[in-house]
Amino acid sequence: MSGWRRRSKSDGRGRGERLAVTVLMTLRHPPERMLTAALRALGRRRPEVFERLGVANDVDLVVAPSDFPVAFRLRPGHGAGRVEVERHDAARPSAARITGPLATLIGLFDGACDADAAFFARRIRITGDTQAVVALHNTLEAAELTTADLLPLPDPLRRWTGALLSAGLARLRAREG
Amino acid sequence: MGSIELVCPAGSPAMLRAAIEAGADSVYCGLRDDTNARNFPGLNFSPQELSDSVAWAHRHGARVLLAVNTFAQAGGSDRWRRSLDAAAASGADAVIVADLGVLAYAREAWPHLRLHLSVQAAAGSPEAIAFYAQAYGVKRVVLPRVLSVEEIAALMREIEVETEAFVFGGLCVMAEGRCALSSYAAGRSPNLCGVCSPPEAVSYSEEEDALVSRLAGFAMDRYAPGDPAGYPTLCKGRFEARGVLSYLFEDPVSLNAMSLLGGLKRAGVTAVKIEGRQRGKAYVARVAAAFRAAIDAIDRGESPDAYEHLLTDLAEGGRETTGAYRKRWR
Repeated sequence: MSGWRRRSKSDGRGRGERLAVTVLMTLRHPPERMLTAALRALGRRRPEVFERLGVANDVDLVVAPSDFPVAFRLRPGHGAGRVEVERHDAARPSAARITGPLATLIGLFDGACDADAAFFARRIRITGDTQAVVALHNTLEAAELTTADLLPLPDPLRRWTGALLSAGLARLRAREG
Repeated sequence: MGSIELVCPAGSPAMLRAAIEAGADSVYCGLRDDTNARNFPGLNFSPQELSDSVAWAHRHGARVLLAVNTFAQAGGSDRWRRSLDAAAASGADAVIVADLGVLAYAREAWPHLRLHLSVQAAAGSPEAIAFYAQAYGVKRVVLPRVLSVEEIAALMREIEVETEAFVFGGLCVMAEGRCALSSYAAGRSPNLCGVCSPPEAVSYSEEEDALVSRLAGFAMDRYAPGDPAGYPTLCKGRFEARGVLSYLFEDPVSLNAMSLLGGLKRAGVTAVKIEGRQRGKAYVARVAAAFRAAIDAIDRGESPDAYEHLLTDLAEGGRETTGAYRKRWR
């Protein structure tokens, strides 16, 4: 069960958070299209990333930020896959689920955080197919992606946006300790 | 007395660059198959990545050591020969080998390729080391992690090859190259397949507010909320025996022998080695920078104490040990 879902049912902020889930689920199609386009652009630009990913290309992986209203379902699909937004309590099966604070999860994506240390310290949790999670972790480590790779933008704009996003996330992570 | 060489791990070209930029003198890595002892999905180098990385390292004044350190399998030894051929073609500075047949092929096919003996060979006596040096021209031995600093100093007086000692990272409690625990539980081992506790056999589940880790269905540990977690291996599992719950073989701790760097240097050790090819860029950058600073401090005649506790949060179980070096280890 995600931290977000637990909190939303047990304290006074529950109503606001349920509203946020409803709004984000209603408006999920534009971010889904953006993230899917970014995934496929990466597939065209960096096919070796998906080659390294191996068996994890053909499974669904759910990334569930514990401090964000919705989760993300990733099917790499050898660079031709998709990203979907879903509720934390969605009943659809997945190969594996990775849960943790959003800033930490983005830090794992761009290599700023040590995944093993985050796991040993229980800042992130994984359930399901460990092999797929290990493949994803090792592939992201090797790929040297930045947060800008989450955006389907042309190159100079992508780099500038990425630098801004990275600086903001570094501040956020420093504040979280 | 020259400076001690800092050897760091690389699971990818990006990690190799991070290690060298943080101060590594040498980096060790493996190809993407079962010829090396870290054969995890998504990890390691293609032959082309190896060649490109060797060229990059040499431009930055660093060396690359290729681990071909699993034991060749009957009927499949072509892969080990191809890995050595790839090492030679890439210009790698040395190969790290354990298997006698692989050593023999390297000596015969690539006589100028420098040979290091892997920790997997578990060569810890002067006689064993002399055999590898005389028979195959081995130039350096990676020491088994069961020797104290005093034993290493005594050994160094009787051998004529370089030595490399692990000083940081995950700790194998068994005689390396001889351990069959992973095979027993999960069917694959580091010795033949390059993987201890293969990830396809590992699972985590949350049960009654505790996190339970399993290997091939066998429960290895149960972590209360907030307890540091670990990767499930049989040697670091927590089991009940005669009514007592304990870590039967070894606690889930990591090696940190930074405080012993001076003693290892005085003993004559050539190089110190960081474990953790599977850990990533953030890990290797921090560990390499801390050990670089400690080694430089020792070279200036200063104490490395200021750097010793910088890395505790990276340790498995959040706890560190000096392992066998001080023989306080169970």
